[in-house]
Amino acid sequence: MGRLDEAAFAAFHARTSRALRAYVYRVVGNASDADDIVQEAFLRMLRADVPADGEEHLRRYLYRVASNLMVDRWRHRTHEQGEDVMPELTSAPPRYEDDAAVAKVFAELKPRDRALLWLAYVEGESHEEIASSLGVGRRGVKVMLFRARRRLRDLLQSRGLLVNS
Amino acid sequence: MTEWFDLNEVDENAIATFMSRVANLRTPKPETRTPDAAQLWCKAKLIARWEAERRAQRPLDFMQPIEIAGGLVAAGVLLYLSFLA
Repeated sequence: MGRLDEAAFAAFHARTSRALRAYVYRVVGNASDADDIVQEAFLRMLRADVPADGEEHLRRYLYRVASNLMVDRWRHRTHEQGEDVMPELTSAPPRYEDDAAVAKVFAELKPRDRALLWLAYVEGESHEEIASSLGVGRRGVKVMLFRARRRLRDLLQSRGLLVNS
Repeated sequence: MTEWFDLNEVDENAIATFMSRVANLRTPKPETRTPDAAQLWCKAKLIARWEAERRAQRPLDFMQPIEIAGGLVAAGVLLYLSFLA
């Protein structure tokens, strides 16, 4: 098992940073925070000197660090402000065709639900992979993911957005 | 791909459709100039070096107050003895 050298890291960074940023941005809902978290995740991965035994292993480690950083940040903000700081949905029901409305509905979910749904649907990860990315047990992921999907379904239903494509 | 359970097909399709919309949402460009891979690599190496230096310095930092306290006690004892003499 070798260690990551600078060239290998540059190639890894080029392949993963964009997808990681999209994931983090969609979960935290703020570009500036997303940039900080992505940078910190890469730095922590490098400082941890993770063995470079396969890109998937490194990627999983990176996502786990980023996910933990997002949870920390969210907890910190919630503690500071005494409330959930995630964006609220406006009173007017959004139209499904509207991108901003889609983003707002997604932002209304809890950060952990957003992370789970993103990893499952966008990244196409299995339960085992999600468990590894989030640093939780596989059995727990099944339950959490089911609840996240149910909450999203309820949310879509309450907004009148539960349409079958 | 993840295997699903418990939601009906209509709900599942609606969620999948919604998530595909979420996946295609535009991600804004970085607000500030974020460091590239080479800068991150250098920064990580620098931090690792600082941490190594801090680790090496720690025993010295730990001993310093003990040395000062020892010196003060010794001075006190000497002063006491000089009064007795």
